[in-house]
Amino acid sequence: MNAQAVPTARAPRPRHVGALARQRRRTALLTVAVLALLVVLLALGLSTGEVPVAPLDALRALAGFGDAGEVMLVQDLRAPRVLAAVVAGAGLAVAGSMMQRVARNPLAAPDVIGVTGGASLGAVAVIASGVSATWTPLAALGGGLLAAVLLAALAWRGGVTVTRLVLVGLAVQSGLAAAVNLFIVRFPAELASSALQWTTGSVYGRNWTEVNIGGSLVLAGIALALLGHRRLAVLDLGDEPAGALGLAPNAARLQLLLAAVVLASVAAALTGPVGFVALAVPHIVRFLAGPPTLGTLGLTALCGAALLLGADLVVLHLLPVHGLPVGVVTATLGAPWLLVLMMRQMKPNAGSAAR
Amino acid sequence: MDLQDARPATGRSTAVRGAVLLLAGLAALSLCAALSLAAGSRPVPLGTVWHALVADDRSPDGLVVTGLRVPRTVIGLVVGAALGVAGAVAQGVTRNPLASPTTLGINAGAGFAVVTAIYALRLTHPAQYLWFAFAGAALATLAVLAIARRAGDLDPVRLALGGTVLAAVLTSWTSAVMLASHRTLDEARFWLAGSLAGRQTDILLPVLAPLAIGFVLAFVISPALNALALGDETAQALGVPVAKVRAAGGLAVVLLAASSVAVAGPLSFIGLAAPHLVRKLVGTDHRRLIPGCLIAGPLLLLAADVLGRVLLRPTELEVGIVTAFLGAPMLAVLARKVAR
Repeated sequence: MNAQAVPTARAPRPRHVGALARQRRRTALLTVAVLALLVVLLALGLSTGEVPVAPLDALRALAGFGDAGEVMLVQDLRAPRVLAAVVAGAGLAVAGSMMQRVARNPLAAPDVIGVTGGASLGAVAVIASGVSATWTPLAALGGGLLAAVLLAALAWRGGVTVTRLVLVGLAVQSGLAAAVNLFIVRFPAELASSALQWTTGSVYGRNWTEVNIGGSLVLAGIALALLGHRRLAVLDLGDEPAGALGLAPNAARLQLLLAAVVLASVAAALTGPVGFVALAVPHIVRFLAGPPTLGTLGLTALCGAALLLGADLVVLHLLPVHGLPVGVVTATLGAPWLLVLMMRQMKPNAGSAAR
Repeated sequence: MDLQDARPATGRSTAVRGAVLLLAGLAALSLCAALSLAAGSRPVPLGTVWHALVADDRSPDGLVVTGLRVPRTVIGLVVGAALGVAGAVAQGVTRNPLASPTTLGINAGAGFAVVTAIYALRLTHPAQYLWFAFAGAALATLAVLAIARRAGDLDPVRLALGGTVLAAVLTSWTSAVMLASHRTLDEARFWLAGSLAGRQTDILLPVLAPLAIGFVLAFVISPALNALALGDETAQALGVPVAKVRAAGGLAVVLLAASSVAVAGPLSFIGLAAPHLVRKLVGTDHRRLIPGCLIAGPLLLLAADVLGRVLLRPTELEVGIVTAFLGAPMLAVLARKVAR
């Protein structure tokens, strides 16, 4: 899937320019459409629940206008959950997109290479130790970074190659999963349940403190990713052209990967390792909008937010069982997409993944 | 892992080396089995173990050995052998050194089927999980193989991706079912960790037939797997029916791995590690590799089980958690070597 980037970069210039303009229009259109969808979902998320509020009133109440009771209901109870979903979805999607591009591997996603597994371990350790739940996000961040350090230590061998990164990542992920499993087996049933809830990814019961801290970190990470986009684009050309343009490929790759890891950990600290958002959204965006540009990176953030928020609404209102973690829905929705994309595009990718 | 070790040696010295390795392997396996009978929250001296085995020993020590540890050890031997051989066949058929029963989605499939069955049918004992685990494992594997098929060939990248995707979805569904019902969570989480404890040997009876068919298939196709290692076209030119060998190999993997999940729950890494260990010792010839895994698989599994029992005495660590902990660094090292 990412192999497409290489031919595009080498395409003859005249056709390339026309295609680029068309793609830019398409990306802009899609961005507007997804933004509109996001606002609709936001209004739905804020207005529905035990006490229904009219969608427009809900949006007004979010800004602090209208009936005092509604403002309190929307701002204090519903907004943290909805905003956590939006922010974390955007962060996970952007982190996944960066990883896949840097690693040139459709499988490179924070949930595959162990980063979100590390975040789960951190969170579950907090649940186990019984300290206040406000430490959970911090512990999750620590766990994500721990996974990244393990990954770097094991995968670095005078440089990082892509396949090694993903394979070592799978190993790190399974080791961390075993540690989480150990906690779940040892816990009494209620703790095991909340640990399981967390490790599947859930936006239930978020508060403003968490959203403020996590949200600003994620937004800063997304901004950094957008700023670093030039480096991504240069790396797409391949190692030698990048070197010729004055970019040390290995160092740049490492920095970008580290940024993606931090972004994914912070996002996972907010909602748990919601599956498939990071893995699937970049593929969906590539499918809809074509090869990656700065515009599609922004679109990726919006799509991630819309997907996670939409999935949370499905969890809240459409499922027969209450209290399921949102990760169940994202995995169920994301997997067929990924499989279909795989069927369609596997052939050109076989070469790049085998490298 | 050092593939250069497969250098051709003169027939006689290879035979001697093979015999020595076989004896050493069997000795190590017997030692592990003895330790498995002796170790645990109630350590029993080896002399007493022997006495309990040969005589009708009614002492508490003797009852622990014959009643609990002999079944556990026998199950460990059978399950370990099945997983080891399944891993060797999976790696041979896919020509992918990282293929293993776990990567094919077997554990996730069995886990989901068992948890659903516990939820819907209110099962309470591992013996009742057997057929659900078997069916779930087999279905998941068939699904992954179907995804990975491309024009009659198995694409390794598609295999890895398909396995990962399917496992992730099934795992999240498993969590959903467990979160929906506390009783299911409490019942299933111990099974999901993978354990040899608390089972009697009669749990092996229903899976004897699939296991036997799986072992026979694995041994029958082992020469053909050597030809397959040279590439599909070469194998075809040598007169090997590639598609048939693949199908037989896939069936063997499903039967062996599904049976072992059914008996002991999801155990990762034995199927991955055993073939690599054996390959390092005897080279890449599948006619030696597969019998070697018959010894190495149980050796690894029993060693991990003993470790889990002595590590946190008096409580014990589920063997599935031990193998996952030991296996993760091993997989990392392997990945370093495979992906230069």
